[in-house]
This record gives sequence, C-alpha cells and structure tokens, in this order.
Amino acid sequence: MQTAWRNIQGPALAILGSLLIGALIMLLSGHNPIEGYGAMLSGALAGRNAANLASTLARAAPIVGMGLCAAIAFRAGFFNLGGEGQLVLGGLTAALVALNLPLPPVLTLPLTVLAAMAAGGVWALLPAWAQFNFRVPLLISSLLLNYPARFFASYVVVNLVRDVQTGMPQTRQIAPELQLPLLITGTQLHAGVFVTLIAVAIAALVIGRTVAGYRLRMAGLNPTFARYGGAPMERLGYGVMFASGAVAGLVGAIEILGVNYRFIDEALTIPQYAWVGLMAALLSNSSPVGVLMTGLFFSAVQTGGFGMERATEIPRELSRVLQAIVILLVAARGGFRLSGDR
Amino acid sequence: MAELELRNITKRFPGVLANDHVSLSVEKGEIRALVGENGAGKSTLMKILYGLYRPDEGEILLRGRRVVFHSPHDAIRAGLGMVHQHFMLFPSLTTFENVIYGDEIARLGFINRDEARRRVRELSAQYGLALDPDAKVSELPVGMRQRVEIVKTLYRNADILILDEPTAVLTPQEEEELFAVLGRLARAGKTIIFITHKLNEVMQISDRATVLRDGRVVATLVTSQTSPAEISRAMVGRDVMLRVNKLPRKPGEVVLSVGDLHVENNRGSEAVCGVSFDVRAGEIVGIAGVAGNGQNELIEALVGLRPIKSGRVALRGREITSVSIGARRAAGMAYVPEDRSAVGLALDAQVDENLLMGYEEQPELSQRGWLNFGSIERHARCLVERFAIKAPSPREAVANLSGGNRQKTVLARELSHQAALLIAEQPTWGVDVGSIEFIHQRLLDYCQNGHAILLVSADLGEVMALSDRILVMFEGRIAGEVQGADATEHGLGLLMTGAVK
Repeated sequence: MQTAWRNIQGPALAILGSLLIGALIMLLSGHNPIEGYGAMLSGALAGRNAANLASTLARAAPIVGMGLCAAIAFRAGFFNLGGEGQLVLGGLTAALVALNLPLPPVLTLPLTVLAAMAAGGVWALLPAWAQFNFRVPLLISSLLLNYPARFFASYVVVNLVRDVQTGMPQTRQIAPELQLPLLITGTQLHAGVFVTLIAVAIAALVIGRTVAGYRLRMAGLNPTFARYGGAPMERLGYGVMFASGAVAGLVGAIEILGVNYRFIDEALTIPQYAWVGLMAALLSNSSPVGVLMTGLFFSAVQTGGFGMERATEIPRELSRVLQAIVILLVAARGGFRLSGDR
Repeated sequence: MAELELRNITKRFPGVLANDHVSLSVEKGEIRALVGENGAGKSTLMKILYGLYRPDEGEILLRGRRVVFHSPHDAIRAGLGMVHQHFMLFPSLTTFENVIYGDEIARLGFINRDEARRRVRELSAQYGLALDPDAKVSELPVGMRQRVEIVKTLYRNADILILDEPTAVLTPQEEEELFAVLGRLARAGKTIIFITHKLNEVMQISDRATVLRDGRVVATLVTSQTSPAEISRAMVGRDVMLRVNKLPRKPGEVVLSVGDLHVENNRGSEAVCGVSFDVRAGEIVGIAGVAGNGQNELIEALVGLRPIKSGRVALRGREITSVSIGARRAAGMAYVPEDRSAVGLALDAQVDENLLMGYEEQPELSQRGWLNFGSIERHARCLVERFAIKAPSPREAVANLSGGNRQKTVLARELSHQAALLIAEQPTWGVDVGSIEFIHQRLLDYCQNGHAILLVSADLGEVMALSDRILVMFEGRIAGEVQGADATEHGLGLLMTGAVK
C-alpha cells in the first residue's frame, strides 16, 4: 500500500497543483473557477446518455495507446520520440491492407491489425539500429524519423490511393464488415477501446512479471548493470523498440477501423495523440497501468475543455494550459524519471 | 598561532557518526598526513573543511579567526585549495584555460590570453612545476594533469592545499616528482594536508600524521619519532596486519587460463600487453600494481565488458575469448566489480531485484520466461540473512543501504551461485572494518570450497593476506610473480615500480 501511495503521490500532487494554477488563471481573467471546473467536469463525464463520458473514453483510447508506446520504451531507457511516425505508418498500412486484401473479414481484420503493428514496429527499429551501429542518439533519430513517415503517408494518400469520388486527401472507406462496432450508438465509443485495455494488461504483465520485463526494467534503471549481469542488450533494445512501435501501429489501426474508417491525411497527427500520450507516460513514471489513469485524465481534460467552452466564456485552450502545467510540475520535482517505480 | 585549526568537528549521517569531535591543528609550512582506513572519516572531514558539508558541531579557525564556509567558493576565497582524486578538468581545453577557468583575467569581457599564459608560466617557474600552458589536457599524462590541478589552486592564491589520495593514480616516478613539488611548496610557506593510506608516503614526506579511526582522532604522531608499525596499529586498532585464517590449500585443476592477452584502453593504446597466467581451483591469485597499470582493462576484458585485441581466455577448458557476458556467466564466471554503484547494482531497484541479476533464468527463479516471485523472495531473504545485509526488507531500494551493505549485496549475489571462478575487484573498498573481515572470510571460504578466485586490490595488505600467489602488474605486463607466503610489501613495491624485472 505504501509503495502504491509513493508511486501515485508525485503525479497526484502535479495534477492538483495544475488545477490550482488553472483556477488562479480563471480568477485573474475574471471567470469563476468553480463554474469553469464544473462545466469541464460535466463536459468530460455527463451529457445525455453519458455521451460526454463516451467521447472521453473514445478519445482516451489513442492517448493511452500512445502513452503505452512511450512508456514501454522509456521504461527500458530508450527515449522513443518517434511514436507519431510509427502511428501514421501503422494507420496507413491498416487502411491499405483493409482495402486491398481479398479475404473474408474474419481473416482480414486480424491481418490488418498485425500488418499495422509490424509497420510501426519496423519503423521503430530504425533508430535502434542507428544507435547500436553508429551511435546516433535514439532520442534525436526517432524524433526526426517522424517527418519522413508523415510525408510519405501524405504522398501515398494524395498521389497514389486518393479516393477519387470525394477528391479529398483520403483513401476510400473500408468495407462495413471491417469497421469496429460502436458500443453506444450516436457516440464514437467503439470496440477498439477493449483492444487498448488488453494491450495495457499485456504490457503490465510482461514488464512486471517476465524475465524479459525484469531485464528491461533493470536496463532502464542502470544499463551498465544490466550489461554486467549478462542481459543481451542489443536484442533487448530491438525488442523494446519493436514492441513500442508496434503499439503505435496498433493505435493507428484502431483509429482507422474504429473511428475514421479510412486513412485521412493528418487525421492522426492533428489531435497530437503521440505527444499527449508522451505526456501521459511521463506523468505516470512509465507504468502501463499508470498510463491508463493519466491518459484518461488528459482525455477528460480535453473533452471537458470543449464542454467548458460551450457552457461558459472560458476558451478550451485552458485544457492545453493545464496539460502543460502538469508536465512542468512533474519535471520540477527533480527531473523526469523516464523509468522506474520509485 | 596555528595556520588552520579544526575544533570538535562532528558530522552525523543517517545511522553513521562520520566525524566525532575531531580536532586538528596544522602549522604554516607543515605537511600533514591524514591517514585512516576506508570509512574512517578522512574524506568527510576534508569535505567539511572545503565547504562541501556543514559540520553539525564544531568550528574552523583560520590563523586564529573563526570562519564558516557555506560552499567551496567560500573556502577558495579564504585561501584553501583542493586537489581531488578524480581530476576536475576539461580534457578538451588547454592547460592555461583550465587553470584560469572560473577566475579569468578579462579585459572588456575578452579573456586576456597572453596575460593568462604569463601567469601560468610564472607560477610553474616559481614552484618548479614544469607545464606547457598551451598543451591540451587530454594529451597530458596523469601526473601532469595533477600538476594542472595544483597550479589551479595556486592561481587562486591558495595557502592551504588539500590533496585527496594524490598518489593513487601516479607512477612511481610521478610520485617522486609530486613529493618534490610538495616539499618546495611547504618550504615556500604553503600548508599541505594530504589524505593517504600508504604508510611509506607518510614516512617519506609528512611532518606529522593524524590518524583517524571510526570518525575519531586516535593519534597525532610526529613522523620523525614514529614507525610504520605504530601508525598502522593506530589505524587498525589492533596489532598491525589483518590476520586471516588462512588454511593450507591444495590447488586443483586450471579454471581460468589466460594466454598472451592484449587489450586496448579507451584511448586506443595498448593497456594490457601480452599477459599470460592460470588460476586453479581452490586458489586465490592476487593482482597487485599501482592503479592504471592495466589491471582494470585486464579485468574488463576477462569479464567481457571490453573487447580483446588478441590472445586467448579459457574457462574450465572452454574458450570464452569472444563470447557474450551472459555466456561467460553461464560458463561459470562471477564478478564483483570495482565500482559497485555504477556497475554492480541498480541503486533504484529493490534488494531482491539486485540479487536476481544474471541468474534470472535459473530454473528455480523463473519458469518459461515468467519470474517466480515466491522463490525470488525466498532466495533474497536467505541471502540477506546469510550475508548479514542490513536492510529492513528485501523490497527496500539498494540506494537506502550503506556502502558496506551494498557491497555485501553484490558479494552475496556473485558468491551464491557457486560459479567456478570469482573475479573480485577491490572487494573491500569503502567498506567498514567489520565488513572487511566478514568479506575476507567469505572469500576464503569460497576458495576453500574448491572455487578459483582472481583478486585485484590496491590494498597490498589485503592482497598479501588472502592470496596464494601474487602477480604484479607494471605498464600492462606481469612484472613478477610472488608466492603469497614469501611476499613482503617492500618486495612487491619494487616490482610495482618496475625497479625489478
């Protein structure tokens, strides 16, 4: 219990602090913070038939997923900033496979997801390869590789597979049998959220309870120690980066199959899923279960921001201010801990 | 009036009384040796003097005036200078740039390089510290880098110089030159305090020696009226050398065989130049030498942390020259590294997690890739008890343990899996006296049970007390081999300095 509190303490204080500062900002700009936060809360959780809660959960799925992508890598000491590119390539692959595979849906669906995961994973291997062989810092190469991935996807969707009927920079719509069912009609809450939950559970189990997870955690805490103990560091690094990228690819696939039903240029990058997920990972000390909580929090702040803007005069940009303050407060507590429970 | 006086300095750390009412008075122009075992409180005392720690009690008087240092900056302004054991230099800058850093001679915001060079040359000439102001520090040998550190303190007008184990990294020749420099500085009116645990140095250059034990001053001896025996008795608190219960041993078959090994250091020059030796079961082979004569590179190459340029290493007859660390461990190699915090442990991880490393795939600790937490905890509890590791629970972070208990954690892990070969590097560095004996006894027991041990230590007493045979390394080669029973500090010293081939 004590350990649990120690793990939660930091993030909880950071969230509380950001809400206080947010209240101060509302007061200074002449708004009532109780009213503002009230509107934010109902915007995130209430609504007719809990519609707002449904959209908070739907938005949380990609945020938690991308948080998991970052957390897996951070936990092993790899600062994978390439989640965005891995996400986009996963999404593009999912759309192309779902549109072109001439197989029954029961085969096409899993193959689509697996292909997307492979695409994200392989793209994430590139920075690991550059680090191991040419000492290119993974932090930089993974970040920079976002651009070719995004531009490549734009090029493909604009020039090669554009939907001629709409004329928009997007692919055709995937077959209805391949679209993930909605859990509540009239909302965006689709069955894909369960896939995200399963991914979180698998990651938590692997990291916490397996030999590979033990090595990954130790490598994150002290890589020299893991090497000294005989852990196969390159294999571990490639494995971790592939898993991290594969989760990003999975998120891309879920968004295509559950929300957009096609690959739309920039639809996966404009909502900043990768970067909000990164923040969720930082806030949770890179714990998979923690990412589930912090990802939900960031999602609630975002959907709540829309509600708040509708109900009060307070612009929804306040959500982004809150997000930024949380991260600053976490960072101020003596630097980010990229990995480790403590 | 004393140049420097420490009165009743007391410093407590959680669970440790590092300095217990330490009083010390040093005269102007004196060379004072500060001796004591690891953990006796020498470094803490000097850190207090230099403003890095604040004492809980007591006061510092400088030429009769009470001073309070909040930071090294205050200490430097008051005329103190510290030469650290690990040099605080920018390798990519030149000598004079390093000397003036932080106290630059500037005109309109531009560094006056000619003036700076002139000052450095002046100081070099004044105290006979030959230095090229424009030499790049990365290209200087260790002895010269130490000179840069000394000139740096003189440039800041230090009257009192503190040197922390200044000879640990020096070759014998550099050591002689350093002693000559210290003599000249003292004659010029500088006051010198140097920390050491080498008795011959104390005898050679100090005027007086202050002996610390368990945080207290146990003796202040006038060098000309004392003997190494008296000093060491004061240091250890009982008769001279640690007596270990060494039973006669009969070495068995060859466990580790090293043939014509060549290894490069980080700068790409050869640090180990053709070393060959065997270690047999039931035998402790010690490696002695002045730090920096290739011992580190040799051990890193043997355990797989550093590539081998040429030569052959075999463990129990199986060639392991180029296999991975994991394969070496599986073949029966255990390793207690010199730097336990950076290499041997993950400080933020729990004790049980640290005790698992390297053995996580053993069938009793994991099955089909899944950790067996029940047996991992049992394993940890058992080791914590057997090795008397003082930890509230196996789930405590290693960072919260003392140095001695951290070392016992490393040792417990490495000894508990009955590897045929144990490589132990500085196994008692920075460990309290009680733990030292415990660790020595464990090593002897391990050997008695038919395992082979390769021991590297900077502490000649330790090497002599434990080893059956001692290999002395000098400039990357084995300068000589001595039977443990025949070894004397003098004889080893001659081999270590390359005086005897």
